Amino acid sequence: MSDPRAHPPRSPLRRPDIAGYLWAVGVVAAATTLAWPLYHAVGFHGENVLMLYLVGVLWIATHHSRSAAVLTSVLSVVAYDLIFVKPFYTFAVSDQQYLITFGVMLATGLVISALTHRVREHSEEARQAWERVEAEFLRNTLLSGVSHDLRTPLSAITGAASTLIENRDHLSDAAQSEMLDTIYGESERMERLINNLLDMTRVESGGLQVKKEWQPLQEVVGSVLHRLERRLGGRKLKTDLPPDLPLVQIDSVLIGQVLMNLLDNAIAYTPPTSTIQIRARQAGDGREVAIDVIDDGPGIPAGTETRVFQKFFRAAQPEKRQGIGLGLAICRGIVEAHGGTIGAGNRPEGGAVFRFTIPMTQSPPPMIDAMTEREPAWQT
Amino acid sequence: MADLKPTVLVIEDEPPLQRFLRVTLEAQSFKVIEATSGENGLRHAATAQPDLVVLDLGLPDMDGVEVTRRLREWTAIPIIIVSARGKEQDKVVALDAGADDYLTKPFGVGELLARVRVALRHLAAANRDTGDPIFEARGLRVDLSRREVTIDGNAVHLTPNEFKLLTVLVKNAGKVLTHRQLLKEVWGPGSAEETHYLRVYMNQLRQKLEGDATRPQLLLTEPGVGYRLLDQ
Ligand SMILES: Nc1ncnc2c1ncn2[C@@H]1O[C@H](COP(=O)(O)OP(=O)(O)OP(=O)(O)O)[C@@H](O)[C@H]1O
Ligand SMILES: [Mg+2]
Repeated sequence: MSDPRAHPPRSPLRRPDIAGYLWAVGVVAAATTLAWPLYHAVGFHGENVLMLYLVGVLWIATHHSRSAAVLTSVLSVVAYDLIFVKPFYTFAVSDQQYLITFGVMLATGLVISALTHRVREHSEEARQAWERVEAEFLRNTLLSGVSHDLRTPLSAITGAASTLIENRDHLSDAAQSEMLDTIYGESERMERLINNLLDMTRVESGGLQVKKEWQPLQEVVGSVLHRLERRLGGRKLKTDLPPDLPLVQIDSVLIGQVLMNLLDNAIAYTPPTSTIQIRARQAGDGREVAIDVIDDGPGIPAGTETRVFQKFFRAAQPEKRQGIGLGLAICRGIVEAHGGTIGAGNRPEGGAVFRFTIPMTQSPPPMIDAMTEREPAWQT
Repeated sequence: MADLKPTVLVIEDEPPLQRFLRVTLEAQSFKVIEATSGENGLRHAATAQPDLVVLDLGLPDMDGVEVTRRLREWTAIPIIIVSARGKEQDKVVALDAGADDYLTKPFGVGELLARVRVALRHLAAANRDTGDPIFEARGLRVDLSRREVTIDGNAVHLTPNEFKLLTVLVKNAGKVLTHRQLLKEVWGPGSAEETHYLRVYMNQLRQKLEGDATRPQLLLTEPGVGYRLLDQ
């Protein structure tokens, strides 16, 4: 989407344009300072001095409010009359022509500032129109993308199931079980997709309910790894969670989901021979716990470190695994709902690193009381 | 009782899921009775005297938790609840109200039959009242009457609370236990909110019994619900 900083909001006539008035005074003072030596030492004509003031009016008219432009015109004529019209330092309009000078100066200021205003308004309109087109386009492509992503597994399921129903007698046992595997595998893929869509909706609508409880991180990691057992197959996976890691205050289901999505990616986007690592450390002088999911695969494309967290963003993907680009966006939503941060990068020796943090704003509840038989080693 | 076909009452309003449950359970030689509403289910439960109930929490006419409570007013038959992902709180409420176990939609046959098997076994054990069992799985052996815990034949030293926790898990092996249930059993009533005690002890128990708390094979976490000691 467009960057709001590129178009600072301006409402020239609403609030008194204090900054504009200050600029008006400054610009007139600058013009006077510049004109003074030119007039007295170099021998500039009065008309040329006026031109200098006019430049100031033009600048204010294009950059500030209309009232600031009017003020600049007035100040310019006053300054010019006082300083460059004989008798000097008196406000005596000896000649009718200075009234005309003033009128021209004022008119220029007003016309220019009106023009500038119109141009700005038009560009604002154009910008809004563009944003509408952009949003509409995005919505359409997202919808068609999502329906496509849902229809692919559905087609495979329908195809395999109808083959089984209609041709069962002609199918070898191997072919039959292949069809059944397809049905099962594609249903799982569809389930994952729908779950991701639901989670994303929940994250975006602010409907994420974070039920925080103090717990050892080991438990969340263990629960996720157990659920991933089948997908991990014979993959090498190392966990590095120091036993003295403090308890963290998290929603275990949600943080489990974060780890799940990160590991799911690490499995999907690296060759089966690569190693995955999960590491947790206290960081930021004990103000947070940082959790890293590290792989030694191809890494993420350079320059996509932030974009990978946008929804529906997908970079290079292997043929057999077509994601929808929601996994990391969900991770970010969940981590931010915990008050933490998430980021991605590549290791110099190759492979991707995803790190998220959990703030330790409160100290963990004590374990030393009647419910405990002894002070556990990690509570010091 | 062993040679009689056990009867399962399925209270489920969605036809495809109904059909899946009936076909699967009948293939395992259960007798299946079906009900599509809570009221209907309660009536069948009273008249047909099933051995087990499979109950969907999302019924059109009545909250599944309410059905569980009404059943528990007069019977201890195993209740396995079925509910959607993301409804952990509902599951916990139903389990605390007396349901025995749960399945999250969509689930496979393997899971369904494992839950049914465990529930029926606990029912049988409760009826026979065999006293403290000896638990054995994956090299872990727990002899409750002798207070002995060994891994591959080597004795493991547990603190009293760790042993108490393990005892509750062993007595309910295969079955899910909510945080509240475990806290109440081990630390007594009034400690139901102190889940971090339970989690820390569970962590210690895993370290002692499984070596690595991040790769549990036996003492499983049921996310957002509680724990389950795997029985095989
Ligand atoms: N460990 C990784 N190594 C290399 N590339 C990665 C890794 N993790 C993510 N990516 C890239 O980032 C993109 C976005 O990841 P994300 O998890 O958000 O979506 P996805 O995996 O494509 O789909 P989904 O997770 O919704 O199924 C991926 O498409 C992939 O190209
Ligand atoms: Mg992903």
